[in-house]
Amino acid sequence: MKFFTVLGIMFYAVIIIAIGLAFIVFSLNLLLPQDINNLLIYAQNSSNSRLIIGLSGLLLILISFSFAQIILGRFQREKTIAFATSSGQVTISLSAVEDLIRRLAGVIPEVKELRPNVVANKKGIIVDMRIILRSEANIPELTSRLQDITKSKIQEILGLEEQVIIKIHVAKIAHDEKDNRRKRDLEKEDSSAIPFSGYGRA
Amino acid sequence: MNPDELRNEIGSIRIHKNVISSISSIAAMEIEGVKKIGSNLKSSLFELFDQKLYSAIKVDISKNEEVRVEIPLIVKYGYNIPDISGRVQENVRQALEKMSNLSVKEINVNVKGIERG
Repeated sequence: MKFFTVLGIMFYAVIIIAIGLAFIVFSLNLLLPQDINNLLIYAQNSSNSRLIIGLSGLLLILISFSFAQIILGRFQREKTIAFATSSGQVTISLSAVEDLIRRLAGVIPEVKELRPNVVANKKGIIVDMRIILRSEANIPELTSRLQDITKSKIQEILGLEEQVIIKIHVAKIAHDEKDNRRKRDLEKEDSSAIPFSGYGRA
Repeated sequence: MNPDELRNEIGSIRIHKNVISSISSIAAMEIEGVKKIGSNLKSSLFELFDQKLYSAIKVDISKNEEVRVEIPLIVKYGYNIPDISGRVQENVRQALEKMSNLSVKEINVNVKGIERG
């Protein structure tokens, strides 16, 4: 573990312990509200102490910012597919693979929306897809085509020979807006063809 | 002597990590299929203030003057990723060795995304 990470963890541990202690002291009636008030007034009156408090605040923000970045970076690093070449290592982020799969929605017109989730483990690359189809789609034929396209695209672009497992979940069948609009137009035409149709009974 | 410091009979030459990062960035962008260099939290923040000096490319120089570079990449859709990565590694290695005379130990490519259409 890097020195800075250890320092960050220690820092947060100290802060949380201090808050916990303050709560315990307050609950035991050892610290009166007046004391806190006096301390705050003292800090407010002195320009030096205000400057120190302000700078401490800034430092705290910077430390939190760096620490959050380290943690987020570590989580990101875990979600990758990696292989080594003669010049070094190549890691492919799983979100990049997800981007790639998302682009396939544009290739198949029957797919309205596609939400992939990619996991890489010992079994290989597992792609979990939630799709929204257009109403005219033949589901068994389409899903099998989508599986084939996704598998070949992943193997082609990533150049990996690992097993690719593709699971598809059809979440919704959406009605095409064009069809709906056509229906609405037809209904309008029908109603306008009937004379005096706009009049209601008194 | 600093690890990124070269000496000759007249004096010393120091190459800043940003220079190595810039060379790597330009060399990587020369490869067809590379959309852009990926960003991290720091580089995005610097870009907000129009400071493009800070690149997301990480550079480490060891005590024995060996350079280790980590390049985050966004690639274009439709290109073979291992092929692009290999070409990037080779081009960056050539550019660094040609321009800085430093020995390159490792060039790690991290493909972070595919260009969205």
